[in-house]
Amino acid sequence: MSAHSSRPKDALVATGLVKQFDGKRAVDGVDLRVAAGEVHGLLGPNGAGKTTLLRMLFGLVAPDAGEIELFGRRLQPDQPTALDGTAGFVESPAFYPYLSARANLELLAELDGAGAGARIAGTLHQVGLSDRAQDRVSGYSTGMRQRLGIAASLLRAPRLLLLDEPSSGLDPAGVRDVWALVRQLTRDGAAVLLSSHQIVEVQGVCDSFTVLRRGRAVWSGTASELREHAPAVEYRLVTSDDMAALAIAREHDCVRATPGPEGGLRVQAHPEHLDPYVVALGARGVAIRGLDVAVGPLEAMFFALTGERPQPSGETAPAEPLAGGLIGDGR
Amino acid sequence: MAVSAPTAAPALAASSSSSARVRSAFRVEWRKLTSQLVTRVLLLLCALGPFAFAAVLKLQSSTPSDTLFGVWVHSSGFALPLVILSFAGQWGFPAIAGIVAGDILSSEDRYGTWKTVLTRSRTRADLFAGKLLAASAVAVAVVAVTAVASIVAGLVVIGDQSLVGFGGKLIPPGRSLFLVAVSWSISLLPLLAFVALAVLFSAVTRNGILGVLGPLLVALAMQLLALIGNGTWLHTLLLASAFGAWHGLFAQPAFAAGLIAGCLVSVAWVLACLAGGWAAFARRDFAGVPAARRAGWRTSARVALGALAVLAVLTVATNWGAAAVTPQRLRDSFAPTFNHLTLLQQRLLGRRVASGARLNQLTACARRGGASGGPGDDWVCNVDVLIAQSGPTPLEQTVSYDVSVQSNGCYKADSPPSFVGSQLMRVPGEGSVVNPLFTIYGCFNTL
Repeated sequence: MSAHSSRPKDALVATGLVKQFDGKRAVDGVDLRVAAGEVHGLLGPNGAGKTTLLRMLFGLVAPDAGEIELFGRRLQPDQPTALDGTAGFVESPAFYPYLSARANLELLAELDGAGAGARIAGTLHQVGLSDRAQDRVSGYSTGMRQRLGIAASLLRAPRLLLLDEPSSGLDPAGVRDVWALVRQLTRDGAAVLLSSHQIVEVQGVCDSFTVLRRGRAVWSGTASELREHAPAVEYRLVTSDDMAALAIAREHDCVRATPGPEGGLRVQAHPEHLDPYVVALGARGVAIRGLDVAVGPLEAMFFALTGERPQPSGETAPAEPLAGGLIGDGR
Repeated sequence: MAVSAPTAAPALAASSSSSARVRSAFRVEWRKLTSQLVTRVLLLLCALGPFAFAAVLKLQSSTPSDTLFGVWVHSSGFALPLVILSFAGQWGFPAIAGIVAGDILSSEDRYGTWKTVLTRSRTRADLFAGKLLAASAVAVAVVAVTAVASIVAGLVVIGDQSLVGFGGKLIPPGRSLFLVAVSWSISLLPLLAFVALAVLFSAVTRNGILGVLGPLLVALAMQLLALIGNGTWLHTLLLASAFGAWHGLFAQPAFAAGLIAGCLVSVAWVLACLAGGWAAFARRDFAGVPAARRAGWRTSARVALGALAVLAVLTVATNWGAAAVTPQRLRDSFAPTFNHLTLLQQRLLGRRVASGARLNQLTACARRGGASGGPGDDWVCNVDVLIAQSGPTPLEQTVSYDVSVQSNGCYKADSPPSFVGSQLMRVPGEGSVVNPLFTIYGCFNTL
């Protein structure tokens, strides 16, 4: 799909964006399209160019090349209406620490105009900060600042929400609420661009993805298209006799098993090939004590695209990229 | 986090006029500035400081005689706000400008809030203008509070006696109050120039410390430049001179050349600093570059080195243009002032002085070091007073004054008590009063 022409329902269309810092390309010819009612995930490891891209979309950084259209209007940061209907934050939300949350929102509402002030109490309630609204932001935890950042975004009654790692610092309940809010917004017709370096975190909420690697978009498409191209799923297998299980795995061509870093085995296989292997383990007297997904299909695809490899803790580390056949425009 | 229906019907924010957008940015910045502890402490200091200063002066017999009008602080309540204005022009105003405006842009870098405010419905120009106006308004408010507090403190603690002007004549209380108010008002222009300078520092260095200290360093450099050289060109262009533009109001006769030049120079500084500040602000990327790669200190170092080079050139330039301080100008100012102050002294001592009386005197001023002119502490003015007595030959008495002259044409002259008596005189019925001839202040036009 080409991102060069804006369709009526497109909230955001970016074409050929390039940004260079000190001779190094942070963003290198990225196209991006987010439609109304869609949650689009912008994925990539740290340093992939996600934040620079978001800064360009907000007009904070001038692209060296390329164009950005918000709701069909070319982004011109020197125009006061440039970001009308658009809200969100880049990196962690920042506020004036010597002011209360409410005072911060009042200042931002003053800059927003258009009745934003009337929405302050409602947005504070939405993000669960009503009780702490009079407290100075300097005393806020990271999660509370994140919630305040979301409140500040909602003040603008956005039709396009650009969020950079919005779940960062939130507890599980907070993360769940953010995703519910995002879903609610898209049901009401808003477009949402979610930036994250962890596909696991956003795979449940995103309809489509763009994956960045070293400033380039290495894949773009829907979640189902991403799954179709995904490599074998990686499972964590715990048995009564891991050595025997390893030996049996060697007898199955489409199953690849290795000793796991935290004990047990790591098994890579598509589900249709895993079943015969599990049956064989039982038939050979190897009891299965645990079997769960270590790296899901989307995650596996993400690692393949970005050249990262999964770590036991869930963090990622640079790795050799998988075969070039997986890397390309899925659209 | 309670999930409820989000704000309905998201709509484009109504675009507003440029002035309305700047007004709203101004309100935001005003609220931020006035919410900060440093601003409130500054206002409190400026409101109470003059009263404390007046109270201390009241308790002491000595006077801050190194400052213009300092010797008169016990004699007239109007001298106090002028003494404070003299001091404020040197350090106070640059400090106020630095504190209020020096961090107005860089604080957004420190808090990381540029990305917060620049992603709302205001342009960079709106925010820049709003910040500038808010900083200017707060600075003016602080100075206005200082001015009012100084005048009130002077009147309450000292009184509303007539003030002795630079020409040695008494200025009635009403006129004195007017001139004091005008003097403070005139000083707002160079204050705004320092505010613009602080904004420039803040925009270029993105460093709050340099933004605050920068105006003070520039003020220091200007005062050093004011001490050297005898040319009028560079000295006229210094904001230090613009702060002294009010001196001409108290000269007798008053002169306006310095005042006009000071206003023009201040406006030029405002425009130049704002142009530089806006150029730096408008073209920058808010890329959130990691601290290690931030250009702040590197830029600051470059600015410091550049400033030193500029200072070296300016040092040479202090001699460009016509001579500002000449023996002729000093003599023309000093002689009538001495005449008027002598008559005032006689009146204070209760002696009858005919209206229109004048001394028969000859005055000559020169530098001890042999130089023909220029500012310095080594000037001397000798006044030969011819006193009529019985007989054909009048009695000739020579009074010698050590004079310190500044490049702005203001001077302070002291004479040993053996010539003119001690600093305080005993006046029948009034106790001790200041001897007008002990220390003489004056200002002459250098343009």
